Amino acid sequence: MEPRWAQTGRDGPDDDDWGQQQPPSSLFLQLPSNATLRFRGNVAKAWGAALDEGEPPGAPQERDGEGAREQESVPLKQLPLCMAEKRILRLREQRVAWKRSRWEQWQVGMRHLWGQVRGALLYAQVWRGSLHRIEGHFGTGIQSYFNFLRFLVLLNLGGALLMVGFVVAPNAAFEGLQLNQTQRGQNSMVNRSCLQYDPTERGLVSYFTYLMDLLSGTGFMELTHLFYGYYQNSAVDFVGFSYNIPLAYLLSVLGYFSVCLLWIVHRAVHLLKRSLVGENWELSTYSHKVFAGWDFCLAPGTAAAMKHNSLRYELRMDLEEQTLRRLMAQRSPGQRLALFSLRGALNLLVLGLLGAAFYGVYRATEYSQRAQDTSPGQQGLVLGLLVAYLPSIVITAANQLVPLAFGLLVRLERYPLSLEIRLTLLRTVFLRLSSLLVLLFSLWTQITCHGDPAADSCRICHYNHQQHPCWETSVGQEMYKLLVFDLLVLLLVLLLVEFPRKLLVTHGPAPLARLLGQQEFLVPPNVLDLVYSQTVCWVGTAFSPLLPLLHAAKFILFFYLKKLTLFSNCRPADRTFRASISSFFFLLVLLLGLAIAWVPLLYSVFVLQPSQACGPFRGEPTMWSTLWVAIDTLPLVAREFLQFVGSLAFAVPLFLLLCILMFYLMALDHSYSCLVKELKGQLRLEGQDKVFLVTQITELS
Amino acid sequence: MILKSMEQGRWLPDPPLCLNLIVAAFHISIFSLPVKIRGKSNGTRIRIQKQKWAINKPFSLQSSWMRIRLFYRYRDLAPQLVPLSYINKPDVKLPYELIGSMAELKDNPFRQRIAEVFSEDGEGNMTLDDFLDMFSVLSEMAPRDLKAYYAFKIYDFNNDDYICKSDLEKTVNKLTRNELTPEEVSLVCDKVIDEADQDNDGKLSVEDFQHMIVRAPDFLSTFHIRI
Repeated sequence: MEPRWAQTGRDGPDDDDWGQQQPPSSLFLQLPSNATLRFRGNVAKAWGAALDEGEPPGAPQERDGEGAREQESVPLKQLPLCMAEKRILRLREQRVAWKRSRWEQWQVGMRHLWGQVRGALLYAQVWRGSLHRIEGHFGTGIQSYFNFLRFLVLLNLGGALLMVGFVVAPNAAFEGLQLNQTQRGQNSMVNRSCLQYDPTERGLVSYFTYLMDLLSGTGFMELTHLFYGYYQNSAVDFVGFSYNIPLAYLLSVLGYFSVCLLWIVHRAVHLLKRSLVGENWELSTYSHKVFAGWDFCLAPGTAAAMKHNSLRYELRMDLEEQTLRRLMAQRSPGQRLALFSLRGALNLLVLGLLGAAFYGVYRATEYSQRAQDTSPGQQGLVLGLLVAYLPSIVITAANQLVPLAFGLLVRLERYPLSLEIRLTLLRTVFLRLSSLLVLLFSLWTQITCHGDPAADSCRICHYNHQQHPCWETSVGQEMYKLLVFDLLVLLLVLLLVEFPRKLLVTHGPAPLARLLGQQEFLVPPNVLDLVYSQTVCWVGTAFSPLLPLLHAAKFILFFYLKKLTLFSNCRPADRTFRASISSFFFLLVLLLGLAIAWVPLLYSVFVLQPSQACGPFRGEPTMWSTLWVAIDTLPLVAREFLQFVGSLAFAVPLFLLLCILMFYLMALDHSYSCLVKELKGQLRLEGQDKVFLVTQITELS
Repeated sequence: MILKSMEQGRWLPDPPLCLNLIVAAFHISIFSLPVKIRGKSNGTRIRIQKQKWAINKPFSLQSSWMRIRLFYRYRDLAPQLVPLSYINKPDVKLPYELIGSMAELKDNPFRQRIAEVFSEDGEGNMTLDDFLDMFSVLSEMAPRDLKAYYAFKIYDFNNDDYICKSDLEKTVNKLTRNELTPEEVSLVCDKVIDEADQDNDGKLSVEDFQHMIVRAPDFLSTFHIRI
């Protein structure tokens, strides 16, 4: 029996809100454009009949040429036919297939194999089951956070492989095998005081010093593979070639950054293609919410009820925003002036808050570094840890408290809701990434004596050798402390805030439970936490080669802890988060973090002088000079080519060319969007033409 | 091993990465082998010999392993009606009430329309072929155009090949469980038609719908059921 949804030839649509007289549907149904509907629906039935008769019937005849070819190019499984019809089509195809050449058969076979491999690879993803469960209970918005976390784990594991493979493992192997190492860059003109560096000379120490050392990277942890200071400026002679350690260090750090950049850009482009497919996506919010709003893989129970509520909330919010916009457009000039001045004042307040936070971070870092050097063993355990972690504590406090203030202030500014969310997010991103920059700036002022090479402590060695005999290791230690503190804060918040809140809400008195409410898993602050951690990792990798590995382990722990707190303590968010656009936004913020991490790296590679007392670049004027020395050993042609590539004569024309290319692509994009608008208008006119012509034909006939 | 863990109702829990790869390799290797799967169910020995519908005919977008799993889900809905062997092509149809009581569809506001669209008789009573078809289209691997076509059919409540305003009102009411006021529902429907209607006839045709849904970035991820 013919399925009901494929039946045609009935009367036209029921409701008559079209206003004009309905043209007879029989004529409409004979039009070629309508025939495509039936073509999809039951042409296989006609073809099946053809198998018995030996001749395809009239209706598909005219499209048989292109239709048959179309059928072959589109795989059978993607046609919207029911199973019985597909079976009949396949029989027919098999009869035709004998006549196909070997090449086409091989092509079909390869396509089939490729489809199966792709299907199998889908099952091979890590944590697929967990993500499925999270999606079912909490929706795609929260699942996008965990997707992002998984991506960061893979990114860090890849980077760790690179760093460990080229820097840490060879060093460990060389020491283990006790190979001959020829020292390089021996500069006998260097002042003796610059070479003094011995972090392990302690004498009798208290018992808690080891714990402090573990948590802040000093003492016994300082001269290990973890930090920059351990590596030697030497070349190891193998059978046939020599492994240049400083060159390997420099190139693997630069390679790690490039690999991260390429990977993130590749993934961002892949997500961008899916999310920004058409122009004017903002205009389609209502239709998207109605037709693509219901998540079909929600687990039954409270998740479905939550989804109904959130959809209703969203639709209501959109309608309210509509009325708000209309009200805004009707405001008088006096009201508008008052509003703008209010917004200006609030923006100044925001800037003031940011300034205060940055100043706090700056002073905390300064105090911490000074206090650590003057009295290392005399403070107790808790006080010592407090001093060591002071910058981290101030940064974390600022990152938690200042966004709350932002949230309150932005509500006073009376923007539409979507703009409110975006503005708060932008301000929080700026706060987090800038506080890290301020920390680095504070370190820089101490290391280079406020950039003044003639100051007392910096005159001899071009850096502050009394406070920081090995300044790269100091920077690495700060990043290591940020990593450890982040993890500690997560554990503490979990134990002391989230679990007690859940206990209070479920078992405590009812008014208190209603006041507090169950914890809501907010995606944007959590994602910004991840971006911040990843930026810390990138900044610190140049000074601590094992940092990507530690971050990978930390993110794996994060995944399981966050999943635990999600399922035990949280309820789904009231406002749904658009998963696709937000995934692209997360990657954009991550790229911003990467761009910020490039700045200290490039500055320390090109400008700052490496420490004389430690590290693989001791004795060199800058880190980059190692590369030039290595290039000088290459044959003449390669040397000249590389020198040309590195010079301005190549860089400036390349930059101009890229600018021209960018302008060309922008112009192309603009012209395509104009073309699409025109075509849409033409489509509308064609529809009206068709209706007009069909009415005329029926009137005349 | 597969059947035992399938009978427990779950696939492997959270395996580490390498085990996932081993599983994937095993999975690829069973595609083209003639498989005689043995297992125990209710004390009787089953022998499913190279089911043509499961292994040789790649109509549904899932693998043969997934199709076998779907067969067991289908059978679990009514074990007394569905035979264990489909060699003789029995004509078994499960009524809509059983299909609608599946865990994946129970809370879905459109479950009745989904069953009607994919069933042969249009009433929601599904054969095994219809069942496989339905989950094939709603799987992760179905292409966007195929899903858009079936989504149109699902949202077209009166089956007239157009989504008119009454269809839209029914959709919005099902989505919000009748908790929006009629004025709000009407406003939302007007806005949807404003946005998506290209040929200005006051209702959405297949082309309008497909053109609009192709631009919805979430559509692929929301319009699928994992089983």
